[in-house]
Amino acid sequence: MIKINSISKSFKEKKVLKNLSLEVKDEEILSLLGPNGCGKTTLLNILSGLTRQDEGDIYIDEILVSGKTDKKSADFKPSDRKVGYVFQTVSLFPHMRAQDNVAYGLKALHLPKQEIKKRTENLLDFVGLHEYAKFYPSQLSGGQKQRIALARSLATEPQVLLLDEPVSAVDPQLRESFRLELKNYLQALKMTVVYVTHNLSEAFIMSDRIAVMGNGHIEQIGDRAEIFDKPSSSYVAKFLGINTLIGKAIKNQDGLVEIEANGILLVACASLDLIGKKVIATLKPDNIFVSKSPKSDFGSKAGNSVEGVITEMAQMRSNAQVTVDAGFLVRTRLPLSSIENESLSIGDRVYVHFSADSLNVFEDNESD
Amino acid sequence: MKHRFAKSIPDKVIISIVALIVVTYFLFITIPLLAVFLKIEPDQVSNQIRNAGIIEAIKLSLLTSGAATLIAFVLVIPSAYFMVTRNFPGKTILDTIMDLPIVLPPAVAGVALLYTFAPKGLLGPLFNKLGFIIPGSTIAVVIAETFVASPFLYRSAKVGFESMDRDIINSAKMLSGSRLRVFFTITFPLSIRAIISGTMMTWARAMGEFGATLMFAGNIAGITQTMPLAIYMFLYYEPLAGIMLSIILIIISFSILISVKLLEQRRFGAKK
Repeated sequence: MIKINSISKSFKEKKVLKNLSLEVKDEEILSLLGPNGCGKTTLLNILSGLTRQDEGDIYIDEILVSGKTDKKSADFKPSDRKVGYVFQTVSLFPHMRAQDNVAYGLKALHLPKQEIKKRTENLLDFVGLHEYAKFYPSQLSGGQKQRIALARSLATEPQVLLLDEPVSAVDPQLRESFRLELKNYLQALKMTVVYVTHNLSEAFIMSDRIAVMGNGHIEQIGDRAEIFDKPSSSYVAKFLGINTLIGKAIKNQDGLVEIEANGILLVACASLDLIGKKVIATLKPDNIFVSKSPKSDFGSKAGNSVEGVITEMAQMRSNAQVTVDAGFLVRTRLPLSSIENESLSIGDRVYVHFSADSLNVFEDNESD
Repeated sequence: MKHRFAKSIPDKVIISIVALIVVTYFLFITIPLLAVFLKIEPDQVSNQIRNAGIIEAIKLSLLTSGAATLIAFVLVIPSAYFMVTRNFPGKTILDTIMDLPIVLPPAVAGVALLYTFAPKGLLGPLFNKLGFIIPGSTIAVVIAETFVASPFLYRSAKVGFESMDRDIINSAKMLSGSRLRVFFTITFPLSIRAIISGTMMTWARAMGEFGATLMFAGNIAGITQTMPLAIYMFLYYEPLAGIMLSIILIIISFSILISVKLLEQRRFGAKK
């Protein structure tokens, strides 16, 4: 378990982390998700001991590894924190064979030679690279290098594993498969893992819970559904980015809440208590229809139809991702057949249709 | 717009002019070096090789330049590492001062060392009390050579340390609590080519040191008369010996430079 209490860190004048607190449960894979430059790597470096925080303290498995309390203070060296770290760039020691990379931490523990050999072999087996033991890093692919880096970080039997965008060191066309391999390893390990990424879908694939980071602190922490269905702040909603409206709940419209955002009026199934308040509405991307006709059949449900312009279309295997600027960005996937039927293309004026219950509405608790 | 100038001259002429410039430059450097070799007959070489004066100068040069390189190594490696890993006010100024001997005229270095180590110099009285008189001694030669030549290693080692990937060093720090172990197993081996080539350049420069040594240590056979100083002296009354020593220095310098070049071309992991 990791417990981070009120960490602050500045570089020169810039405050990177502001009073950040976070708890990672035992054997949990937690993603730290946020845009580049939001302080994710700084937080990992502070956890690992490579960087010293200005304020706040860190507990790993109930042990104070860095910081100051009334009773005691501590500042453990990186190698004493029982933390493994896989870096963003391929950080293998280029002058050592794969096996010597893995054994590096074991040699520092002054273990007997037999023991070092045995553990190194086990780790190479674990990442499926036994036959590459004698290879130099320059002879390995990006994915193989990161697997060796993972094995190396596990050698000293850490209790916590930190991974900083480990997929970005892998060739783009192999990222997808490497991501799945890595997920299998992480699940097999049953360790407390902090996984840094700026990629939304990667965070959803890899982790049990996601901590969205921004403005130097954790904006929201929760699982996929919690974050998508209930963004806690406009920052998170903005980071999820698409299909998000920020506006005001203005009145009760036959039991539905009418929302005014960017000059658009929408109806949503939401608590009437929100009326009069600033709100964020997020649109579930699965229930959006796009057509050239302003009319749509919502059946018995109340619905919204908003006019806009297609700004982007990206064809996938069986469907296409379509982005419409309707005063806010709406993105959805449409089957190729419906794109053909409607003969949709970029620049077309279209209507976006969605029912009142496909909007999630929350109070905007961010002051700005 | 048309380039009239370029258009009016045929390509062939331009190529010929450029070729002439290139050949002139190559010859300008090669001919003087060749001239030295042509000044001596093969049978004279075998005679000169047994010349006691020459042997003495070679021995002294190897001894002093070897000592200077060793001292430079011990002083420079930690200093260069410190400079690369720490930040402090005035760092750029200090760093520039450390590089200065590379561009400073050796005569100035000689004067500076004299006013430091001479009996009436800044530190002279201290050494006098300890029983050393530095100027005019072999130690003075080593000091002059170290002063003038060590910045070559300093610069090179710094480049080596600076080009280290932070994540590689951090990976090692995560796994090993001993900074010394991280330095000797990771930082040093990964900078080894820069360090070796810097060491060789320092050695070559120490071997060729003339001005500072002449001013600070003097030209005393067997004590301060290294190869370059011996050449200077021999050329007046024993030209063949001077030529022989020059040839030896050309060969040594060439060997060092070509070794550095070959070293810089080698890559990790190429061996299987």
